[in-house]
Amino acid sequence: MRQDYFSANNIKHIDYKDVEILKKFLNPNGKIMNHRRTGVTAGNQRKLAAAVKRARFLGLLPFVAK
Amino acid sequence: METMALKKDLNETDARVYEVGYLLLPTIPEEDIPRIYSGLKDLLEGLQAEIISDEVPKLVSLAYTMNKSILNVRHKFSTAYFSWTKFAVDAEEVLALKKKLDLEPNILRFLITKTVRENTLAAKRFAGRDRIRPRSRAEEGAPPAPINKEEIDKEIDAMVAA
Repeated sequence: MRQDYFSANNIKHIDYKDVEILKKFLNPNGKIMNHRRTGVTAGNQRKLAAAVKRARFLGLLPFVAK
Repeated sequence: METMALKKDLNETDARVYEVGYLLLPTIPEEDIPRIYSGLKDLLEGLQAEIISDEVPKLVSLAYTMNKSILNVRHKFSTAYFSWTKFAVDAEEVLALKKKLDLEPNILRFLITKTVRENTLAAKRFAGRDRIRPRSRAEEGAPPAPINKEEIDKEIDAMVAA
């Protein structure tokens, strides 16, 4: 089983400003990947989703990418 | 009674850590940015907030165009100055901060979030770690094994003879 990216890199708080990390978990359309694809724990998947949504609101990430 | 007093003391020192991320209008001249940035910090200090960390505004291209009505005219923006400030303040003061930021004409958009006192930016930590890596490799390769030329010549001669 794939290890959780955030636990592996000792990231306790997923920051919405870490756009480069968040981009790893978006598909080419800009949608958040399924937890089965990302391999992160359920708790971190929820934090990841919240961070992506905050970054989208502030225009750091797209809502829809072409 | 004692517990009541204790609770009151706790509430008085119960400053929570928040972060405000904001986008300033790209129409602001670059020389005015530091003035507006310090003005927003003064606004926080006016609410008895303790500023933990912040970043100076940087011009970023937005992932999508944003609209803002200025004097009843809708303007579209595809770039903005992004900045953030992390601060500790009483929970009751946050609503007052939101109301003040809502009226701020230079802000395109802002977001107040709850966070923690520690540094949450992971990218910077990784950048530091990457910098260390090549140095350790160089150290590993630094003491090369001494080459004995005579032994090598003998080995080559033996191989040629065979």
